[in-house]
Amino acid sequence: MLVTIIRTSHFAFQHFWRNLWISAITIFILTLTLFIVSLVGSLNLLAGQAIKAVEDKVDIDLYFKQGTDEADILKAKVYVESLPEVSKVRYISRDEALESFTATHTDDPDIQAALAELDSNPLPASLSVQANELNQYQAIITQFESSEYDTLVEDKNFSDHQAVIDRLSGLTKRIYQGGLIISFIFVFISVVMMYNTIRVAIYSHREELGIMKLVGATDWFIRAPFIIESVLYALLSSILAMSILSVIAFSAAPYVNAFFTGYDFSLDLFFVTNFWIIALGQFLISLILAVGSSMLSIGRYLKV
Amino acid sequence: MIEFKKVTKIYSDQTYAARDLSLLIRPGEFVSIVGQSGTGKTTLAKMVIAEEHPTRGQVVVGGWDITNIKPADVPVLRRQVGVVFQDFKLLPKKTVYENIKFALEVCGVEQRKIDAIVPQVLKVVGLEEKRDKFPHQLSGGQQQRVAIGRALVHRPKVLLADEPTGSLDTINATEIIELLLKINTLGTTVMLVTHNKEIVDRLRRRVVAIDDGVIISDQQSGKYNL
Ligand SMILES: Nc1ncnc2c1ncn2[C@@H]1O[C@H](COP(=O)(O)OP(=O)(O)O)[C@@H](O)[C@H]1O
Ligand SMILES: [Mg+2]
Repeated sequence: MLVTIIRTSHFAFQHFWRNLWISAITIFILTLTLFIVSLVGSLNLLAGQAIKAVEDKVDIDLYFKQGTDEADILKAKVYVESLPEVSKVRYISRDEALESFTATHTDDPDIQAALAELDSNPLPASLSVQANELNQYQAIITQFESSEYDTLVEDKNFSDHQAVIDRLSGLTKRIYQGGLIISFIFVFISVVMMYNTIRVAIYSHREELGIMKLVGATDWFIRAPFIIESVLYALLSSILAMSILSVIAFSAAPYVNAFFTGYDFSLDLFFVTNFWIIALGQFLISLILAVGSSMLSIGRYLKV
Repeated sequence: MIEFKKVTKIYSDQTYAARDLSLLIRPGEFVSIVGQSGTGKTTLAKMVIAEEHPTRGQVVVGGWDITNIKPADVPVLRRQVGVVFQDFKLLPKKTVYENIKFALEVCGVEQRKIDAIVPQVLKVVGLEEKRDKFPHQLSGGQQQRVAIGRALVHRPKVLLADEPTGSLDTINATEIIELLLKINTLGTTVMLVTHNKEIVDRLRRRVVAIDDGVIISDQQSGKYNL
């Protein structure tokens, strides 16, 4: 058994070297395919993250009238939290509101001066409410308005980012569809390439193959080198694709991370933590492509 | 050792290569199959190694009915039947030693056994001195001896030689036939397909003449008379 594995692998390497040009082109095409599939995947991931980031920004702010008791506000909070559509409620006290307002306008001398002149805090306390789903905000508002707490509220602010989200979703969908088509084209090209590479390998070893059959080599022994050869292609191309992807991920990371400032997403961190999953995924994809198409070729051209 | 029982072989284009042909070759025999080109001799040889299958009838090799042999069993059969052809089918980029070794390697034989068998075979075919030569550095007769050596690595019960002297001059051809006789005396059944009248006449062994897929004569110690 071990002897067979060693010998068939040896033959596989011989095939690889003897048709080095074809081997190189095959690996190039497989690598390109893997790279494109990963790129489409990454763009999808980033677009998904962008949508999530915007969705996170959507909320309802309930501003309470000046002088409302904190206890009443907390009761209102408990009520809102009890609504099934609500996922998260945050209480922002007047002091906190002032603090963050001051902090965000720290570079604006006019506002700083105006704030310094006031002796009392002009900002209201508020509840910031987030729903489970984007389409549940209207329902939350309606329910709140029919509750006893509505009278405590001076102003409601529903920051609707629906238009942005719709645009992003549209974009994502187009990226996805376009990417899918391009991926399919490349998958097709690599299957055809692989199929023909094995066909050429079979053709250029026809003498050996004929002799192997005559002297009583088993079907397995005859076929194995071609399968191993295609596994070799899969391995090399996924290592290459992964290297290219690493370079791109790390060089693009500063820009992508800058875009997601304030959100829980970092491209390089994501890449590092998921490195082996991505690598394995790439290897599996190329393995299926390479071995699958070489099996087709073997079935067609290697009569045993 | 080899038995054809009422074998008819019709190729897909309706060519008849054997017609209700029966032939029994006993263990240890040396049988020459003669006949003009296109009469079905190679087809018989191919049926012995299950490269072709009879359309009707049965083929039995070493007591094993291979008429409907399973594809997975074909390698087992081929290790019991050595074959050589007019074109030697040697690998040009391998030496004599490597060409013979190849047949063992691809059958998964251990290196230790290969190292023992190949020199023995080289001795039988008389090519110990030429072990590191490439086929193009050898005469036709020597190349055919390499092919015979390769056919012997599995110690086959049967050696099947289809026109082994077809591309050799008389001296080389004689050498090859003498080698086949020697192998026969070592206990291997030999089935020789040939055109060469001189050789057959000198052999004084059994001769089976075929014409148009039919046996027209079968003589012990026969002559080539068509
Ligand atoms: N694969 C094949 N398909 C169709 N006809 C074939 C095939 N092989 C041989 N034949 C035909 O069968 C007949 C016998 O051929 P063959 O056995 O090669 O004869 P021989 O070896 O005596 O010259 C010939 O007419 C030949 O053309
Ligand atoms: Mg013939």
